[in-house]
Amino acid sequence: MATFEAPAATLPAVHARTEPGGLVAWLTTVDHKRIGILYGVTAFAFFLVAGLEALLIRLQLAQPDGRVLSAATFNALFTMHGTSMVFLAAMPLASAMFNYLVPLLIGARDVAFPRLNAFSYWVFLLGGLFINASWLTGTAPDAGWFGYAPLTEKPFSVGPHSDFWLLGLIFLGTSSIVASLNFLVTILNLRAPGMGLLRMPIFAWNTIVTNVLILLAFPPVTVALVFLLFDRFFGTSFYLPAGGGSPVLWQHLFWIFGHPEVYILILPAMGIVSEVLPTFARKPLFGYAAVVYATALIGFLGFGVWAHHMFAVGMGPIADSAFALTSMLIAIPTGIKIFNWLATLWGGSIRLTTALWFACGFIGMFTIGGLSGIMHASPPVDLQQTDSYFVVAHFHYVLFGGMILGIFAGIYYWFPKATGRLLDERLGRAHFWLLLIGLNLTFFPMHFVGLMGMPRRIYTYAPDLAWTGWNLAITVGAVVQGVAMLVFVANVVRTLRRGAPAGPDPWDGRTLEWGIPSPPPPYNFATIPVVRRRDALWLTKHPDARGPGLDDPRALVVPRGPIHMPAPSWWPLLTALGIAALMTGFLVHPAAAVLGGLLTAAAALRFGTELLVPAGAAPPHDGGGAHDATHIGSTGLDHRKLGVWTFIGSECLFFGTLISTYLVYRGRSLQGPYPRDILNVPLISVSTFVLLMSSLTMVLGVAAIQAGDVRRTRRWLLATAALGCVFLIGQVYEFNHFVHEGLGLTTNLFAATFYVMVGFHGAHVTVGVVWLSTLVYLLGRGRVGPRQEVLVDAAGLYWHFVDVVWIAIFTLVYLIQ
Amino acid sequence: VVVAAFLLAITVMEVWVFYIPALARVLVPILLLLSSAKFALVAMFYMHLRFDHPWFSYVFVGPLIIAVTLAVSLLWLFGHIGTTGIRGLGPG
Repeated sequence: MATFEAPAATLPAVHARTEPGGLVAWLTTVDHKRIGILYGVTAFAFFLVAGLEALLIRLQLAQPDGRVLSAATFNALFTMHGTSMVFLAAMPLASAMFNYLVPLLIGARDVAFPRLNAFSYWVFLLGGLFINASWLTGTAPDAGWFGYAPLTEKPFSVGPHSDFWLLGLIFLGTSSIVASLNFLVTILNLRAPGMGLLRMPIFAWNTIVTNVLILLAFPPVTVALVFLLFDRFFGTSFYLPAGGGSPVLWQHLFWIFGHPEVYILILPAMGIVSEVLPTFARKPLFGYAAVVYATALIGFLGFGVWAHHMFAVGMGPIADSAFALTSMLIAIPTGIKIFNWLATLWGGSIRLTTALWFACGFIGMFTIGGLSGIMHASPPVDLQQTDSYFVVAHFHYVLFGGMILGIFAGIYYWFPKATGRLLDERLGRAHFWLLLIGLNLTFFPMHFVGLMGMPRRIYTYAPDLAWTGWNLAITVGAVVQGVAMLVFVANVVRTLRRGAPAGPDPWDGRTLEWGIPSPPPPYNFATIPVVRRRDALWLTKHPDARGPGLDDPRALVVPRGPIHMPAPSWWPLLTALGIAALMTGFLVHPAAAVLGGLLTAAAALRFGTELLVPAGAAPPHDGGGAHDATHIGSTGLDHRKLGVWTFIGSECLFFGTLISTYLVYRGRSLQGPYPRDILNVPLISVSTFVLLMSSLTMVLGVAAIQAGDVRRTRRWLLATAALGCVFLIGQVYEFNHFVHEGLGLTTNLFAATFYVMVGFHGAHVTVGVVWLSTLVYLLGRGRVGPRQEVLVDAAGLYWHFVDVVWIAIFTLVYLIQ
Repeated sequence: VVVAAFLLAITVMEVWVFYIPALARVLVPILLLLSSAKFALVAMFYMHLRFDHPWFSYVFVGPLIIAVTLAVSLLWLFGHIGTTGIRGLGPG
């Protein structure tokens, strides 16, 4: 029996609504394990599609003067290959791992917000289908995966090619941000008793840092995409020099996201490898604390290196030197991790399983990619290599040789946990060696052709350039990789049909998930373990390694009363469908977009209130329990409050980017009216006063609910919403006045940056008004009562944040003109 | 209510200094200071960061610092602050 499995007689009562069967079970599931499997299967399908796109690219380039593809199709293929691999395959494969593993690794029964988790998946799936639907209309994106402006602007990208791309990325970004918020709150708040931050499995640490990066890096690129959307749909000039805009701004905003994105992709793989190596070396991870700090440092430094992608722009020697320095610095924590992995293997009692082969492959390939990365950190070297195949070689060693090999290490390691069956080791090794040979045959020669001058993204080349032999070798390598993937698929199919039973702990694992059955029961842990030390499970199984004074964790298992399982729900899927309708509406007709927006709002409202029922009625279960007490994590904090704070943290970057752009473009308008001609300080001072007063009424509302006075709470919340409406009326009046004064959205850069920034703030105020009005209604119907004061508190935090954003806008826009 | 009174007073001061020509040279630092004070008052008292669990401060202040740093970096890279070593990328 597994270590943390309870005998049937002692199993706590499990309260769960009867799960629907068949397809409905998957459509309405909120179980993190099922959602993890959905993520994994969907992401692998997109991975195969993107791989096929790469094979087509290689067939075209196998010979000089290739005739397999037209130039236009080639452009679409490399764009979709890069976009799909990054956003639809690599990131979601990591999400699959986070979903399936994080609650198991930290001793939790599910994630903090199970329905939001399902929502993230459906948005990802529909976003992926949305972008790929462009193939069916013959308008696949074709401007490259980083969509450099002005190539993506209307004059240069006619038709909906780039519209599919930018709307799809905004769509997918929503999924990523929501999922990240969920994982962060889960890890911070749902760890097993005793599992301090430095006792967590290292994969959980990598998950934390990855998701912090997602939360902070996606808002800037979302703003960048919104600007592009305004340029393409409404005629602004954010990136068009003719209107005063700068294409360089796109590059900055994209790479402020794009470089952390590299770590978003590689850190999960590093986490996997850091779990696999100690298990098969049968010794603890060498320098656990150093690896944790190195991971955090990589995440932190990752935000200060973005412009090394832009050395060719000509930013000047000081800027180039600064970014070269930070880029080289990041090699230090990375090196720490590599040496710690090697030291973990050193002197270990090694079991050479397929998972370990892949983990070792990861170290080797990632190191090769890292070394060429350090070359790119030097501006003079980078100038020689930029936009050549040398760069393509570099990032494929990092992301394919690194990230994908790491993911496969994880798949071979945890597949038995998810399915109860062991993948075939013989086929696994064939898969590994074919992939290792194939990827080196593909990507290593790219260094040579790059140095010989072959630019990336050319669809054909002349026969007299001496690139032919290398290109043929690269194509052969790509085909070998394709064969390796077929071997893997065959292995999975064979194992699912007749694989050897795995048992709960086939690898003599170190982390908590190996203490429960394979596959785990819906509630994961019958009893929640107490964690007294790192690698607690392994020490349980190996008392000799435990040392004096350390208890057997089995003796410290704490019963937690009945198990409440979250109920399935249709609303995550329906809300995601609403967003899909909104995005599709942008491409079809403005009225369709409005309809999609209304559908989304209606579904989101139902989603948000689904679990709130009148006092006395039996509520559906959520997040491990029906009662408010179960929203309290092991830290004593409420998930919902921590979630709102995390969201607010992410919003800092969103508004920070909007305000930055306004300031960067200040004084660049080619024609008036200019701010000093038109901004009405007295009027806005009154509006500002109104908004500040709404914060006061909000505070009084929170105080009232804390005092248990529902009537007074409703009154203050209503007053807050009313003041919000007054502020919005002031904003509408101001916009109307500006338009009458000749300042339309497209008049100049001031207008564009002002309307978008202030408009988004107004949209946030509107959401706040709807939120507060809903609370007033629910309080009146008895669906929210004094026991749910955290719901009012959370709304208050959001409202005050909108207020502080306005404090910044008022000063930076209206007073500092 | 006391915090609201302070917020109101600071806003009045901001608008007041905006209309004093003699302060034009030091207007920006004064306004940034006053605005930061308002921001801090709302965050510390209305959002009760001063009294709440420190994690809430971490998940708010950390991103805020990164956002401000990115804003300053962009202003520097576009030539609004200091110099990047060459001319031509600045405004206009």
